[in-house]
Amino acid sequence: MKFDVVVIGGGWAGRTVADRLAGAGLRVCVVSEGLSLAAVHDESPYSCLAGLQKKGVTVLRGDRALQGRADADKVTGLVTRNLGPDTMLEAGAFVLATGKFFSRGLLSDMNHIWEPVFGADVAYDADRTKWADPEFSSHQPFMDFGVRTDEAGHVLVSGRPVMNLYAAGEILAAGSKEFDTDSFIEEYEHRIG
Amino acid sequence: MSIGSVNLEQCLKCNLCTLVCPMMEVNPDYPGPKKAGPDGERYRLKDPAFFDYALKYCLNCKRCEVACPSDVHIGDMIQSARIKYGSQAKKKGLRSLRDWTLASTDLVGSISSPVAPIVNGVLALRPVKAVMDGVLAVDRHRTFPKYSRQKFVSWFRRQDQSAFDRFVTYFHGCYVNYNYPDLGKDFVRLMNAAGYGVHLLEKEKCCGVALMSNGFADKARRQGAVNLASMRKAVSAGEQVLTTSSTCTFTMRDEYPDVLGLDNSAVRDSLMLATKWLYTKLSSGEIHLKFRKDFRMKVAYHTACHMQKMGWQIYSIALLQMIPGLELTVLDQNCCGIAGTFGFKKENYGYSQAIGAKLFADVEASGADVVATDCETCKWQIEMSTGKTVLNPVEILAEAVEF
Amino acid sequence: MQKEYDVIIIGGGITGAATLRDCALRGLSCLLVERGDICDGASGRNHGLLHSGARYAVTDREGAEECIRENRILRRIASNCVEPTEGLFISLPEDGLDYQANFIEKCREAGIEAEPIEPAEALRMEPAINPRIIGAVKVPDAAVDPFRLVDANILDARRHGADILKFTAVASLVKENGRVVGVRTSRGDVIRAKEVVLAAGIWTAGLAREAGVNIGMMPSKGSLIIFGHRVANHVINRCRKPANADILVPGDVVSVLGTTSDKVPIESCDDMHATPQEVELLLREGEQLVPSLAHTRIIRAYAGVRPLVVAEPAGDGRNVSRGIVLLDHETRDGVPGLITITGGKLTTARLMAEMATDLVCRKLGSTARCETATRCLPGSEGRKPGFMDPFNIRAAIGRHGEEVSRMDFDNGGEIVCECEHVTRAEIEYAVKEFGVRNVSDLRRHTRIGMGTCQGSFCIKKVAKVLAGELGVVPEGLVHDYLQERWKGMTPVLWGDTLREAEYMQKVNRDEI
Repeated sequence: MKFDVVVIGGGWAGRTVADRLAGAGLRVCVVSEGLSLAAVHDESPYSCLAGLQKKGVTVLRGDRALQGRADADKVTGLVTRNLGPDTMLEAGAFVLATGKFFSRGLLSDMNHIWEPVFGADVAYDADRTKWADPEFSSHQPFMDFGVRTDEAGHVLVSGRPVMNLYAAGEILAAGSKEFDTDSFIEEYEHRIG
Repeated sequence: MSIGSVNLEQCLKCNLCTLVCPMMEVNPDYPGPKKAGPDGERYRLKDPAFFDYALKYCLNCKRCEVACPSDVHIGDMIQSARIKYGSQAKKKGLRSLRDWTLASTDLVGSISSPVAPIVNGVLALRPVKAVMDGVLAVDRHRTFPKYSRQKFVSWFRRQDQSAFDRFVTYFHGCYVNYNYPDLGKDFVRLMNAAGYGVHLLEKEKCCGVALMSNGFADKARRQGAVNLASMRKAVSAGEQVLTTSSTCTFTMRDEYPDVLGLDNSAVRDSLMLATKWLYTKLSSGEIHLKFRKDFRMKVAYHTACHMQKMGWQIYSIALLQMIPGLELTVLDQNCCGIAGTFGFKKENYGYSQAIGAKLFADVEASGADVVATDCETCKWQIEMSTGKTVLNPVEILAEAVEF
Repeated sequence: MQKEYDVIIIGGGITGAATLRDCALRGLSCLLVERGDICDGASGRNHGLLHSGARYAVTDREGAEECIRENRILRRIASNCVEPTEGLFISLPEDGLDYQANFIEKCREAGIEAEPIEPAEALRMEPAINPRIIGAVKVPDAAVDPFRLVDANILDARRHGADILKFTAVASLVKENGRVVGVRTSRGDVIRAKEVVLAAGIWTAGLAREAGVNIGMMPSKGSLIIFGHRVANHVINRCRKPANADILVPGDVVSVLGTTSDKVPIESCDDMHATPQEVELLLREGEQLVPSLAHTRIIRAYAGVRPLVVAEPAGDGRNVSRGIVLLDHETRDGVPGLITITGGKLTTARLMAEMATDLVCRKLGSTARCETATRCLPGSEGRKPGFMDPFNIRAAIGRHGEEVSRMDFDNGGEIVCECEHVTRAEIEYAVKEFGVRNVSDLRRHTRIGMGTCQGSFCIKKVAKVLAGELGVVPEGLVHDYLQERWKGMTPVLWGDTLREAEYMQKVNRDEI
């Protein structure tokens, strides 16, 4: 299935991006595994996603992004759990908006933290004892961990920018660059004339 | 051990599942998916005395699993608990006879089909409904799906498929075989028009969904083993196994391994709804269908809960959108409330209708001529509760195609 | 003038609580003084293992015999605190079977049923254990809930006339003419007694020194890990010379793995926490017992201190009962009026109390007989949760037995803590029966917030209910509790625990 943009994650960040892109006339797909915690503020749990659907966004509710496929410096497709490899999601750009640990945008074990879909570079402290502050109410270092981007907002994989992969919201490491929806739309409109 | 009991700990108690449970909204006796699933499971692991009878209210709609950000198999856990501990709670006697009757879709079907006009007539009679209501506790408002005089398989045996060199295998299910052969006939016509011949499984049994939800897991497991053995043969012969029921498909793809512990890994990827197959082949240009020019229909698509769990409604929707002259509204995904045999039980009728109310109102407001859905029990419920005709997307496609 | 007690007991752990109960049942007027909440020291920071004695059979015959006797007694008198899970001692190829043969023989000599089980049968009984086992022995180990056991002793003592003074530290022992005649509290009050019993675990030495008595104590730190659910339904031990991290105990709805053993300075005992290195060691060894622990959700890690006592000089060994240490300071140090009971184990606490109370009675000239081995503790008359009980109160019945008749479920049946099924009625009962200052205290009497979410989801609800009972504002209660939970979560902060941590942070900072 082909889209202009595939947004992975249906929380605050993902839905905001999707809403803006769809409003500008782009064909957008949102992969939303599980409800976002943000849903507790909505009129009804799915009202926000249903609203996106009414704007023409394809929302894959309860589906999980399994693996990105890439060639050279671009993502070519995304395999999801429900649609399987036969129905790869293809798009001009992909936006990673899967959040941090709670929403499993980042996974961790005793010694490592990684981003499971694209294997994006994650900024974190190699010393596990520094992941948390002993004071509950202090700022927690792990809340600054996340994926790295270059200055233009391209997500880094193995130190190299992936030219059509961006990130939005909490998945970003402190200091990384948020997906710039406005410039993206501008560029898109420029390209299609 | 089923998956259900091993991933309870991934539950972070965020309670998002409780926001989407249709039963919780209408029934204060139901503790909800979190408590019935992962919370309860921790206690049941300690002592079976912590099994809660209220788990019988779970519709197994899996909306909790779709909402769960932690991928906890909440519904599976509840189903497994009902199977494992529910028998201790089961009341003996007439209620069980009722449950058995409702669960044994194929046996009751094969008894009823030859005498279908009589059975249909009898089931429709008011006094009979009253007896069923009083003695069997099947709610009197319910209309039993009519039994067809001729079974689908009897019709199919007379269809010559030998001219084809490519085949798909069709799992027709009880509903097509006993109640609604027309859907099966449409499926065969479409496949033939697409250049594919149709085979049936060497042996087909009811997928077992009704047996599982009524506590007859062993029988469901035996039937599942028969289906899987036949499917393995079909798949190793290079054929994909297609279906026209979202619930049968979901049961055989996901509930077999997750709840019944059956290994379906050899066939799972080859088992799919006809709409997924058709969409994939049509959009890749591998097959072609010629559509009628004069076709007009206003359709509202209802995503059945198990369809949402599989995430496959996008295929049915995309397929319907390919049909010239079809005007499509996609309804908000709400549960219709029937949940297979659940809504047939007298004690559940009220919950069933209260849950479905949102959907029924949406259907009425859609202004559609026809409701499309991939689930036969949703069809009964929506037809009974709204008066609209409900069709499977395969039927609509067959009507729109020029043969 | 203030009343003079027969006995003052210092320390509200299991030893102090059991001694208080024994004294009360023998008709002595008695008072227990505890600086914090009851069960807030080592008694609340252990494995929850009711030893059969098998673990000591090879090295300490007398200790093993004590354990099996007490094990049988507690199953009878504390049935709501004990889960008769039974235990398995498993042998892995690297352990060999030589130890097992000797182990079975020594168990039998000590009177402990020890039944060898074929590996296949053991795996059928307990599918979670390491499939590489080459042998297994079934013994009557069990799980015991230490919080509940202490509570039951306290309740019974109070219902037989004992007094309890919590949240009150003893500043010093009061001595007159060389005799200990009472205690001075941190508030400056003097409370007099004919005998003072020190039962303050590792903190005993400091109190004794004040009175000019020297007890050589060796704090031994033990760290443990709690897993989110019952991974196994038997206590699992390694059948080898006792070592680190080789016992897994299913306790209520969780599993506890432990323990390490390291000498630590006495000054560190007030703030014990498990270190990341200890956690790694525990997991590495624990996976040998039950491989699935490698990917089982960890709730928290914690540490307690064993109050080990330096061996007494030869000649005074009569009172040193292999682990249990009863010191008569009148004969030992020439300080009458003071007795110390320490060492020992959770399993043998009742026996320790009996020994201490026997000595107290001798001093006081009482001939009353000990009845603690035969009289049931409150909650242990045999009421068990069943299908016919309303679901919301089944967990409470499991915890408190017939004590639930004192809980008002009609007006407080709603569940407040969802992981552990704690109702408002149970909270109200705990406040009334035990007196609490905060949510951590409440936790010890109810299991509130001890489940997989560690209070993330329900702490605000709990704090609101408790604040209403205590007449305070809920915010402070929330912060204190989460800080206390955080301490146990940070050493294990990865995987699902890190996910829960992010959730806990967000929910409680209103960042959702």
